[in-house]
Amino acid sequence: MAEFAEPIARLIDELKRLPGVGHKSAQRLAFHILRSTPEDAARLASAIAEVKARITFCSVCHNLTDIEHDPCAYCVNPARDRRLLCVVEEPHNVIAIERTGEFHGLYHVLHGVLSPLRGIGPDELRIRSLLERLRSLDITEVILATNPTTEGEATANYIGRLLKPIGVRVTRLALGLPVGGDLEYADEVTLHKALAYRREL
Amino acid sequence: MEITSVTVDGFRNLAGTFCVAPGLNVLWGDNGQGKTNWLEAIYLLATTKSFRTGRLQEVIAFGRPAAHLRAEVVRRSTPVTLDLHLEANRKTLFVNGKRAVVGEYLGQLTVFAYGREALDVICGEPGERRRFIDRGILTLKPTYVQTLADYNRVLKQKNALLRAAVESSDRRCWLDSLEDWNVQLVALGTQLHVERAQYATWLNESLDWRMFNAEQITVRYVSALGSDLPATPEAVRTALTEQLARRREAELAVGHALVGPHRDDLAILMDGRDVARFGSAGQQRSALLVLTLGQLALYRARCAEPPVLLLDDLDAELDTGRIAALLEYLQGQAQVVVTTTKPGLVQGPARRQALRAGRFIEAADSARDEPDKPFSGMEMPPCDMPRSWPPS
Repeated sequence: MAEFAEPIARLIDELKRLPGVGHKSAQRLAFHILRSTPEDAARLASAIAEVKARITFCSVCHNLTDIEHDPCAYCVNPARDRRLLCVVEEPHNVIAIERTGEFHGLYHVLHGVLSPLRGIGPDELRIRSLLERLRSLDITEVILATNPTTEGEATANYIGRLLKPIGVRVTRLALGLPVGGDLEYADEVTLHKALAYRREL
Repeated sequence: MEITSVTVDGFRNLAGTFCVAPGLNVLWGDNGQGKTNWLEAIYLLATTKSFRTGRLQEVIAFGRPAAHLRAEVVRRSTPVTLDLHLEANRKTLFVNGKRAVVGEYLGQLTVFAYGREALDVICGEPGERRRFIDRGILTLKPTYVQTLADYNRVLKQKNALLRAAVESSDRRCWLDSLEDWNVQLVALGTQLHVERAQYATWLNESLDWRMFNAEQITVRYVSALGSDLPATPEAVRTALTEQLARRREAELAVGHALVGPHRDDLAILMDGRDVARFGSAGQQRSALLVLTLGQLALYRARCAEPPVLLLDDLDAELDTGRIAALLEYLQGQAQVVVTTTKPGLVQGPARRQALRAGRFIEAADSARDEPDKPFSGMEMPPCDMPRSWPPS
């Protein structure tokens, strides 16, 4: 089989490891990098190197943060409501919630969900530190914002049970219809949940 | 609903377009010419599953990277195009050229199939009969697919957890979260149980076993929770919760889930006795046919439109008298596609098409008044040529 020169073949192989990148995309990206100026290529390389060197997890909430800013910007911001805590699966879920502009409390990132199939039990998640935070902070409500999957439900259920004896208010994100949509276009599963979890007016 | 045409590319040994007539269609040809493959293609387009194999990559033609199937369907007098694309292990579904999730896709075309493979429903493991009920429920309620998928997911997770608890040194940590999977197992398992028991009751009421002058066929949902349990959500939820608590130690000992509707079965009885154990091969086939027609009748009663029925290798399964009775009964009930090696076997109006090496070689529409020349070599009726792929 025809092979590229070693450096470009290696670059293609490395790019192919990225999620969503197949052989053809990897080849396209590699040739794009090859054609770019040395400065552009160096910038990309240093951005990749830097993200590994400078990004760490916040020692308080486990969100991503710059190595020089630990605890992270959310944890130290005095304007945030320290009585509300939102528990999410992954750092990118924090961004999703932030974009709503509706939540001004603190976060806690679990880094995963319970999944025995992948060998992930409660000890593999950042749950112990959540309990410690609840002990030291004066939190009145914990919002469980894990995904509406079977794994997300199991995780929310587990944490909910752990928190019950502490006496804090525990809530779960509502399930239901997308805003601005027509009932007709909602899939039946979502509509079914929306009916099951309907609210009093 | 009605299929007007099926077009395949890279699927087994087939090529070209199958123009399907309303009413009765006869596919005939020697063995190994691809008759059953066309039925499999239709079944796959309707259900996204094959009736022959659980491993879909097997249906992709040898040496081809992908298979593409398309059905043109008329549903409530509106044309619908269904596309199913198979590549390695990926299955992509399209309705009218737009990507669709399986719950949306499944309601578009309803197909029932009768053939040798389906005999596993009678003689196979209980899992085959659970799948049979589940497929039936899906024809009435496509969103059931989510409940089913979620239940299976929770079950897999729970089994993995129990295995981990058995093998790992840190039992406590795993067992801490067992409860959280059981909560979902109860919720989803209750839905599954109630739906299945309801379907079994409806199916039982729809069985028309007198058609072949045969023994009385009855079906009953058999729950591992107990035979006298009423199929109400409250009763099932309570029983499941109680059983899970009672058998917790046993589940921990064996390392997999012992309680839930994945342990249930459908009893198929002939004059009150188990067909699989006491029925002859012929009786088992009649029982399966009665069940399939029952599903069809149930679908007809609950959904306005006639479904599609596939009857594979008709003459190998039934004698001439029964075939005539069956086709008579099906008139106006469903669009029917039968396969046979003997084209003369089917009398009356039908579109007869001959197959050689997966391709159609001739077609003939015949009316009842000219049964003597069923293969007059009429020209293929025009059908809509498939639009180009991929959809824009």
